[in-house]
Amino acid sequence: MDFLERFLKRLGFMVLTMVAMSMLIFFLVEIMPGDVAQTILGQAATEESVAALRESMGLDDPIHVRYLRWAGGFVQGDLGQSIYMRGVEISSIFWRRVGHSMLLAFTAFIFYVPVSILMGILAGVKAGKTADSVISFVGLATMALPEFVSGIILITIFSVYLEIFPIASLIPIGQTIWGNLNILVLPALSITIVMFGYVSRMQRSSMIGVMSSDYIRAATLKGMPRRYVIFRHALKNALLPTITIIGMNMGWLFGGLIVVETLFGFPGLGSLTLSAIKTRDIPLIEACVLFITFIFVFSTFITDMAYAFLNPKIRFKQGEV
Amino acid sequence: MKKLLFLAMCFLIVTTLILSGCTTEEETGEETGEETGEEMVIRVAEQVPNLITPGAWDGQAFSLNSSIYDYLIEMDANTGELVPALATEWDSPEGKVWTFKLREGVTFHDGSDFTAEDVKFTLERTQDPEIGHLKAEDLQVVEKIETPDDHTVVITLAEAFPTFYYLFTDYNLAILSSDYDYGMLGESAPMGTGAFKLEEMVPKESAMLVKNENYWDPGLPKADALMIYFVPDIDSSISLLEAGQVDIVPQISPIIRDRLQGLEGFTIVSPYQESRFIAMAADREPFNDNNVRLAFKYAMDPEFLAQACQGVLGESIFYNETPIVNSLAQYKEIPFRGRDIERSKELLAEAGYPDGLTVELYYASDHPYGTDISQALKEIAAPAGFDLDLQGYPRDIYLAQHWMDAPMSITGWGVRVDPSMLLMLAYHSEGPWNESHMSDPEVDDLIDKIRNEVDPSVRQSHYDRLQEIFVERGTVINLQVPYLVATSTSVKDYRQPVTMLVQLKYATIE
Repeated sequence: MDFLERFLKRLGFMVLTMVAMSMLIFFLVEIMPGDVAQTILGQAATEESVAALRESMGLDDPIHVRYLRWAGGFVQGDLGQSIYMRGVEISSIFWRRVGHSMLLAFTAFIFYVPVSILMGILAGVKAGKTADSVISFVGLATMALPEFVSGIILITIFSVYLEIFPIASLIPIGQTIWGNLNILVLPALSITIVMFGYVSRMQRSSMIGVMSSDYIRAATLKGMPRRYVIFRHALKNALLPTITIIGMNMGWLFGGLIVVETLFGFPGLGSLTLSAIKTRDIPLIEACVLFITFIFVFSTFITDMAYAFLNPKIRFKQGEV
Repeated sequence: MKKLLFLAMCFLIVTTLILSGCTTEEETGEETGEETGEEMVIRVAEQVPNLITPGAWDGQAFSLNSSIYDYLIEMDANTGELVPALATEWDSPEGKVWTFKLREGVTFHDGSDFTAEDVKFTLERTQDPEIGHLKAEDLQVVEKIETPDDHTVVITLAEAFPTFYYLFTDYNLAILSSDYDYGMLGESAPMGTGAFKLEEMVPKESAMLVKNENYWDPGLPKADALMIYFVPDIDSSISLLEAGQVDIVPQISPIIRDRLQGLEGFTIVSPYQESRFIAMAADREPFNDNNVRLAFKYAMDPEFLAQACQGVLGESIFYNETPIVNSLAQYKEIPFRGRDIERSKELLAEAGYPDGLTVELYYASDHPYGTDISQALKEIAAPAGFDLDLQGYPRDIYLAQHWMDAPMSITGWGVRVDPSMLLMLAYHSEGPWNESHMSDPEVDDLIDKIRNEVDPSVRQSHYDRLQEIFVERGTVINLQVPYLVATSTSVKDYRQPVTMLVQLKYATIE
């Protein structure tokens, strides 16, 4: 019963966070400098035409009216129309970009998770030896490298010299991303470089902790094969903190890739957010930021639940074990 | 454990290889298609467009709009002469009542016929205050639009305006169809009579245009299709050009030009110059005193300014103290006064600033040349006693919040083929975009005379006098800077006249 209680409590928190965040996002966008109507009409606009446009877009309504109208539409799945490109439904641009971002997040995930975890285990088991030193050094070095630097290094190597991958992630007109999966590689690799350090180091330290615990020593002394000890006994416990780190970063992986997407010109959610901000396309900014927030909150929620599920101490009330 | 390391690396390499193999086939297919000359496709990387329906955009979607829409009159990019487009003839005996004969047999992309009604619709839409059209001010002079038959439009003006027809070359006066809902479809499915028609558009990403088989000029367009990618970042656009993924990148900076010129396979085109007006507001201190304006002009160093813009004075950059650009026939050559810091200091002392003064200079920091010019101005004006306080803002914020309300500002202006339009807008005391707040009765009088004068030689004498006044007591320094386009060398016949409208219908790929 405790698990269900915990689930409901977390779910409630999640909804509350989303409501609070939606208000915060709405009001922050409100106080952004620059006037939308003026931006649309450009240098030429007269005061009269700016006023007319403001009225026709409903920009003159009180702020709470506009918030309720917006939040109401959002809940019903209506993201509204772009005000920068009149007549264009946000959903027609938005979900396509979400799909691209999901695919990128997934690719990055299958790139960095197995590699980082395996390297972390290796470093943890061989703590203090050469393998550990090399892996730890590489991990530290890549963590310190911002993604725009590693991205440029990757572009230089793979696009300029080797000419294996395209410099910019352009989807030729009339084709979909499925026919152009090679555009995913460099962005995913640059994410891998950033994430490798975090995950492998976390895995290493938890591995060291577990390997020095009594039950592992007992298993080893009992004469159990080393591989069996590591993968069957140690890894189960040593994975928990790593899963938390990976889960926490899913939000970033999915919506926070503004730098990576802009660098590679990848048509995902991050670059859409940036272009929305640049053009002061308020409904689009709000849709993007709220969706990214949702992904963050949701992935934290899932991590929380996964953690509770994997850890019996949390899953069951004390004494029930 | 070495196995583990080996396993991990293998996994990474295999996934990478699988993904990289995913496109080879399709790409090869496309390339061979182009090489065999079956289809000629021109690919353009354009900046993310603002609103693309003509009339409510800031001139960034040129390739898209000038290909989909047509105009009544075009400018020949080679000779600079006005040539018939949708209008075949235009005439007005006294400059007040204008008759336009329209081309027959022209159809819109949706199959409907192009008639006088469409021209009337376009002009009335332009005048509609709800649209907030960029050209609404210019059309205030229009009193009546009549359509005696399907291919004649008669426009009656409130007063004589002998150069009125020049307006129809403007990039914002594309001819729209009276049957089409531009309010709802203009952004997602633009439709006109142009040489290319829209096939597919992904908002904010790309647009595919194909040859309009029914185009009124039978030899055009030369290319079969046009692919336009909306790339927000100029550096990414250049990467695409270098990688051979696009053929044309408009509006590049001088730094990129210098880099590309050192490489094989690229051509830099500079089809025309545009202006950066350094405006000194005449309605407030300190520039309400002409001595201060003159002091600033005496502190100018055109050569230094040109270098700051990565150009050469007299070649790619031009310095002028009047708003009339030197490529127009109305331009009068007046020798530069020369940099004279002592004279500048004297004038400032006369104006009551013996110890110099501080002036806020507002500009758009993300607009080409904006930052270069402002920093150069600060440096060259300092010895005379001007301490420029640089206030750079993103272009939209600059335009929305500071332009028209700054003691000093730098603003980008496109060239008006008829300079009287620019004078009316920006230097007449009643002009809606009078950014320097000029209010000079003699200037107002001359602008009015220029607009109404039918005799070209008398008109020119007014222009001459006006330019002398600008040098004596004007409120503007005009720095002409080149508009730069990078193309791959395979692109031939890239045409873009001073109207800024690129004519991709002539372009071919070798």
